[in-house]
Amino acid sequence: MNKVITINLGGNAYQLEEGGYGTLRAYLETATARLKDNPDRDEILLDIERAIADKFRALLASHKNVVETKEVNAVIAEMGPIETDGGAAANETANPGGASESKAAGEEQAKSGSPRRLYRIKEGSMVSGVCNGLGAYLSVDPTFIRLAFAFLAIFWGTGFGIYIILALVIPMAETPEEKAAATGSPATAQEFIRRAKEGYYEATKGFSDSKTRREWTRRWKREMRAHSNQWRDNWENYWKIHTPVHPGLGFTLPVLSVLQGTATVLWICAMISLLATGMIFGLALPASVPVWAATLLLFILYGVIIGPMKAARRAYYWTAGGSRWAFPFIALVDTVVWMVVAVVLLCLAIHYFPELHQAVQTLPTRVDEAVTDVKTWWHNK
Amino acid sequence: MNVNEKFSAIRKGLLEFLVLQIIAAEKVYAADILKQLSATEFATQEGTLYPLLSKMRRDGLLDYEWKESEAGPPRKYYQLTARGREHLRETLEYWAQINGTVKKLGQK
Repeated sequence: MNKVITINLGGNAYQLEEGGYGTLRAYLETATARLKDNPDRDEILLDIERAIADKFRALLASHKNVVETKEVNAVIAEMGPIETDGGAAANETANPGGASESKAAGEEQAKSGSPRRLYRIKEGSMVSGVCNGLGAYLSVDPTFIRLAFAFLAIFWGTGFGIYIILALVIPMAETPEEKAAATGSPATAQEFIRRAKEGYYEATKGFSDSKTRREWTRRWKREMRAHSNQWRDNWENYWKIHTPVHPGLGFTLPVLSVLQGTATVLWICAMISLLATGMIFGLALPASVPVWAATLLLFILYGVIIGPMKAARRAYYWTAGGSRWAFPFIALVDTVVWMVVAVVLLCLAIHYFPELHQAVQTLPTRVDEAVTDVKTWWHNK
Repeated sequence: MNVNEKFSAIRKGLLEFLVLQIIAAEKVYAADILKQLSATEFATQEGTLYPLLSKMRRDGLLDYEWKESEAGPPRKYYQLTARGREHLRETLEYWAQINGTVKKLGQK
């Protein structure tokens, strides 16, 4: 008896066994990753999904409505790895008959592509594979985890109880996909963003006509905006309450402004160095984080750091200004102060750090290249 | 290294040419193309064909239209554009030239 998962492929529902679902998911995720620079990514993915759906349909009959795991594996082997224009998978498809070869590649893909899950791992285990699985999940040598359990068991007896519960609750990694998931890539920020994007893509894909899709996209963006506004307002209210008087209007406000200016300059410098060299101030990104994800992270980080400061300043304007006309006046002066600070710092930074200077000089050509890329893509469309 | 392996790069390069040939004969959908190729040395998989087709469409060599099929959902039928036909003609000429060279060289 196997669990069945229902999926939507090219607008039709198909029921797959759980193991098959895992393989298919890994295959499509790898395909998405391989096509990430392809301008027709979404269309090719839809083509692939439709082709898989066609093959599944051929397998089903009136008395058979579930696609088995081995059938999914066969279909995916038949599809072959996604070969991009660059020919990244060139040698893998050299021999189209080699189904076993493709399957091995699929497992390899699952290993690097799918998120890590907690399983018990039988291979190399001492008792039931709990510590082994936990070790793989946490990237810690399982021996340490065994020692920790033994320690807890000896001194408090709880380790024993916890172990038994875990052994009962955590499933054993049985299929190749589950084994791959047990040691798969950890849930990183990149993974998180990718999944968020994927969810967005999935959701937009579900609409048949462009009008409802546009409507949905608009609503999605509005909600996101509302969330961020809410967050800002919360901070503003917090500062309003916590600054009943204005002991240091003359002091705190400029300090806040300078802090915000510095943060902005740091952020701009980090952005420039990231876009121009692919590194942040000479620090290479971890191999698993692409530049765009780092850019996005920098944006978010900037927002998170700057948000409370901004809100505090706004709250100050209100409590300090007292009357209504003072608000825009103080805000104006303050903004001018921090912009001056930012500009001066930026000039100094560019002047004193040759890497930054160089990066700024190469920036126009980089932007130019990007614009040309977009243009050629648009014309070819 | 056998002949099959040695020529894999060449086969890869020629695939676009053969796909043009197939589509030039009649409007076809992707599975048709794969079926026609499967009997030859150029047997190909979907994972290779779809990115290739989309690249050829971007290059303006071919175009597609949706057509209802007797069983199942509508399918994409591919056809050549004027530019694709021109490109095929040029490639055929060049291919004939290469063939001639291969035959001619080394003969007295």
